[in-house]
Amino acid sequence: MNIITLVKQAPDTTQLSGSLDGLKLLAEGAPRVLNPWDEYALETALQLVEAHGGSVTALMVGPAAATETLRTALAMGANQAVLVDDPALAAADTLATARTLAAAIGKLAPFDLIIGGRAGIEGNTGATAIQTAALLNLPLVSYVAALKTVDPAARTLTAVRLLDNERQIVETPLPALLTVVKEINEPRFPTFMQLRKAKKATIPTWNLADIGLTAAEVAPQVSWLAELPPAGQARLELIEGSPAQAAAQLVERLSKQQII
Amino acid sequence: MLTPPEKILFAIAVLISLYFTYHSFAKMAAVIGRGAGRLNLDDLPRRLGAGLVALVGQGNILRRRPVTSLFHWAVAWGFLLYVIVNLADVLQAYLPGFRFLGNTPLGGPYRFVVDLASVMILLGVVFFLLRRFVAAAPALSFRPNVMLHPAAQQGIRHDSLLVGLFILGHVGFRFLGESFLIAHESGDPWQPLAGAVASLWSGLATTQLLIGWHIFWWLALGLILLFIPYFPYSKHAHLFMGPFNYMSRPPRPSPGALPAIDFEDESLEQFGATVLTDLHRTHLVDAFACIMCNRCQDACPAYLTGKELSPSALEVNKRFFIKQNFTGLADGAADETPLLEFALSESALWACLACGACIDVCPVGNEPMFDILDIRRSQVLMESQFPAELRGAFTGLERNGNPWQVAGDRLAWTEPLDFAVPTVEDNPDYEVLYWVGCAGAFDSDAQRTARAIATLLHAAGVNFAVLGNDESCTGDMARRAGNEYLFFEMAQANIEILTEAKAHQRRIVTGCPHCLHTLGQEYGALGGHFTVLHHTQLISELVGAGRLKLTGGAQEAITFHDPCYLGRHNGEFDAPRELLSAAGLALNEMPRHRQNAFCCGGGGAQVWKEEEPGQAAVSASRYAEAESTGAATLAVGCPFCARMLSDAGQSLPVRDVAELVANRIA
Repeated sequence: MNIITLVKQAPDTTQLSGSLDGLKLLAEGAPRVLNPWDEYALETALQLVEAHGGSVTALMVGPAAATETLRTALAMGANQAVLVDDPALAAADTLATARTLAAAIGKLAPFDLIIGGRAGIEGNTGATAIQTAALLNLPLVSYVAALKTVDPAARTLTAVRLLDNERQIVETPLPALLTVVKEINEPRFPTFMQLRKAKKATIPTWNLADIGLTAAEVAPQVSWLAELPPAGQARLELIEGSPAQAAAQLVERLSKQQII
Repeated sequence: MLTPPEKILFAIAVLISLYFTYHSFAKMAAVIGRGAGRLNLDDLPRRLGAGLVALVGQGNILRRRPVTSLFHWAVAWGFLLYVIVNLADVLQAYLPGFRFLGNTPLGGPYRFVVDLASVMILLGVVFFLLRRFVAAAPALSFRPNVMLHPAAQQGIRHDSLLVGLFILGHVGFRFLGESFLIAHESGDPWQPLAGAVASLWSGLATTQLLIGWHIFWWLALGLILLFIPYFPYSKHAHLFMGPFNYMSRPPRPSPGALPAIDFEDESLEQFGATVLTDLHRTHLVDAFACIMCNRCQDACPAYLTGKELSPSALEVNKRFFIKQNFTGLADGAADETPLLEFALSESALWACLACGACIDVCPVGNEPMFDILDIRRSQVLMESQFPAELRGAFTGLERNGNPWQVAGDRLAWTEPLDFAVPTVEDNPDYEVLYWVGCAGAFDSDAQRTARAIATLLHAAGVNFAVLGNDESCTGDMARRAGNEYLFFEMAQANIEILTEAKAHQRRIVTGCPHCLHTLGQEYGALGGHFTVLHHTQLISELVGAGRLKLTGGAQEAITFHDPCYLGRHNGEFDAPRELLSAAGLALNEMPRHRQNAFCCGGGGAQVWKEEEPGQAAVSASRYAEAESTGAATLAVGCPFCARMLSDAGQSLPVRDVAELVANRIA
C-alpha cells in the first residue's frame, strides 16, 4: 500500500504552563514539534505498511524551518517526506492548504490511502483534511479510532469512527482519506538508527510552480484577526475531607457521571 | 618413587592433559574475545596485585554468610597450598630420595600444615555438599518466576556435585596416599591426622603399603590431570576467573559509572547489547567467573520483593548459553539469540533499580547491573521497546529539560526565602555552584530541601550561585532507562553551560545523589570534569570548619536511609551521619545500612514507571525496615528516596538531612 500522511508543524504545547502565556507559543521562534495528532496518523500508516508492504510518504505544507519537524516523521519510519513551501502560502487558510495538499498529492500519485490527524493542535479546525478529500473527490472517513479490516486486494477498508455519543463501523473503497483520533494507537518512539538516518535524509521542497498552482489559487479567504485566551475559566472545585474521604467522594462523583 | 614405566606413563598423561587444557582454555578465550571492547590489562603489576588480594584476602566473601564463608576460606587457602603440594608430590615421585623441604627446619611444619589443610578442605567440601544436596539451602535456588536456562537447573547440580567429588577425591586420595607412606616409613609426628589413619594399615606388609601409596598417588594426581582441561566447562573456574575478573576490569570512576557511547561515530551500528556477544568482554568473563552462590540475589531489592529479576540467574543463564554453544561461539558462528530469550525476561530487565548492590556484594567481581543497563540501551535505541510510562519522562527531558514535563520557573522554590538566591549571572564570582536539580526545582518536598540547603549555605556565608533556568536535567533518568542518546545530548548541553559558567574551576554542590553521580562520575567520559559534592559533604565541612554552628538540640531518635548513589556508588557514608549527630540526633541504624543499604525503590528510572509485578513494593519493604528501628524520623539525602519513602507510609515523617540540620542552626 502506498500511503500519504498529512502532517503539519505545531507549537509545543508541553511548554504551556501557568506561568507561560499560551499565546506566546504561537509566536515566531517558539518551540515547534510535529502536530501530536499527526503522530497517530503516521503510526497508523506505518503499521499498515508493516502488515501489507508499500511505503509511507509524509507530506507537509509549511515554512522551510519545518523541515526539521518533518525529520521526526522520517525518524518514526516514513519512507520519504516532502515539504511544500512558497511565500504565497505564508497566510494560507484551510482551503488554500487543502488545495496545495491536493495538488502535491496529485504529483505523488498513485496512492491507496491518505491519513491525517483529526486536527491541527493550534487552529483546531479539523477542516483541512476534509477539504482535501473533497478536492480530490475521495471518500472521507473521519475520527477513526480503529481499523477493523484492510484488504488491499479487494481495495476496501472497514474502520471504527469514534464520535461523541456513538461508535460507527464504516466501510469504504480505496483510495480514501482517513482522519484518526488518539485512541487508534500509541505512536512509536524513534530508534537511534532511525534518528541518525532521518538526520541525514534529503527532504525535497516543492514550491507552488512545482505542483502546478499559482499564488492566486491559494490566496487566503479567511484571516485571523486576533488570538485571545479562552473567555471562560474552567470550573475548579476542591473536595474537602481526609484523603480517604475525598477519594471516596471523587470515585462516587466520577462513576455517577459515567466517567469511570 | 614411581617405577620407570610409571614415570613415562605419567609424563604422557601430563602431555595429554596439557593438550586438552590448551584447547579448552583457548576456546574460553575465544568466546571472551567475541565480546565488545577490550579487557584492561594495562598497569599489570598493580592489577595482578588486585587479583591476588581478591584471591588470598577473600575480603568480599567474608562480608556475608559468615559460616559458609569461613569454610570457603579454609577450602580456598587449602587449595592454594595444594598447588605447592601437587608439585612437591610429583617431584618426590620422580627424584630418588627427594622430600620437599626434607629435613630442613621447615619440612616438618610443612607436612603438619598440609595434614591439617587436607582435613579442613575435606570438612569444608562436605559442608558445601551437605548444604546444597541435603539441607537444600534456599539461598542456592531461584524463585520459579525467574527465567532460568533449561539446562541450568540440573546443570548447576551436576557441576556442583562433580566439583565437590573432584575435591573430595583429589584431597582425600592424596591424604590416604600419605597415610600409606607414613605407615611405610613407620610414623611421622608432624602428620597427626594422616598418621591416625596410618595406624589402620599396621597389619599390611611393606610391599602392600607401597602399592597402596602408588594407587592413591595415581588417583590424586590423575584426577587433577582429568580436571584441569574441564575447568572452562565448570563453575569451578571461578578460582582463577574470579581473580582474573578483578585484574582485567575496565577502570571505572565509581563502581556503577556507565561507559559512554560515541554517537558521532558513524561506523557504529550496534547500540547496547541485543545478543550475548554485544556485551563487553569483561561481562563475558563474569559468566565464567560466576560461582552461582546467589549472594547478589540475596542483595537485590528487585528479587527480594518478588520481581522476575535475579542478577545471579542472569550470569548463570549466560554461562549455560555459552556452554551449550561453546564450539560455535568460539569458532565465530553467528550469535543471533537475543539475551531477552535466555538471560532475563523483559519484566526482569525493567525491574532493575541500578542500586549497584549486586556489583558491591559479588565475591568474584561480577557486574550484572552493567549487562542489564546495556540491554536496556539496545531495547530503547535499537528496538524502541520500553515501558510506555517512560515515554512521558523522555519527552519531558527532550522538550522541557525535566522528566516531569513541567514548563515552570526553576527559581520558584526560592520565593519564600528571606534572602535572595543569586544566579551565576548575578554573581559570576561565586565559589560554589549550587546545582538544584529538577526535583529541587519542581517537587514540592524537594523544594523544601532546596530552601534548607540554600539557608545553610547562606548562614555559613558561602559565596554561592545557581544556574536558574539555564539548568536542566543531567540525563541520569534517561541513562538508567537505556536512552543513552538522550543522556548524551543532555550531558553535552549541560557540560557547555557549566563550562561557560566556569563551574569546572569551582566546586559544585547538589542535593541530589543522582546529579552528584552523573555530573561528578559520568560527565568525565564526555569531557566534563567537575568537582561535585553532596550537600551533606559540604555542610559537614562547614560545620567542621566552624562556619556553621548547630544547637545540638534534643536527643531525638532518627534513622538514616543511605541513598544508593551517595553510598555504594559514591562511597559517602559518614558525612550525613556526622551531620545528624552534630545536630543532636541519635541514630538508630536500620539492619541494612551503609554498604548494605537497601534501595528506596526509585533507582534505575523506577520513579518514572510502574513497579514491575512482584510480591511487595521495594519502597514499602524499606519503609517497614525504617519503622522497625523505632526512630521518630526517617532521614534521607535524596529527593527521590524522599518521594518513594514518604509515599510508602504515614507513620514516619521523611525529612532530608539538610532540613533537619537547618532547623538546628544556632
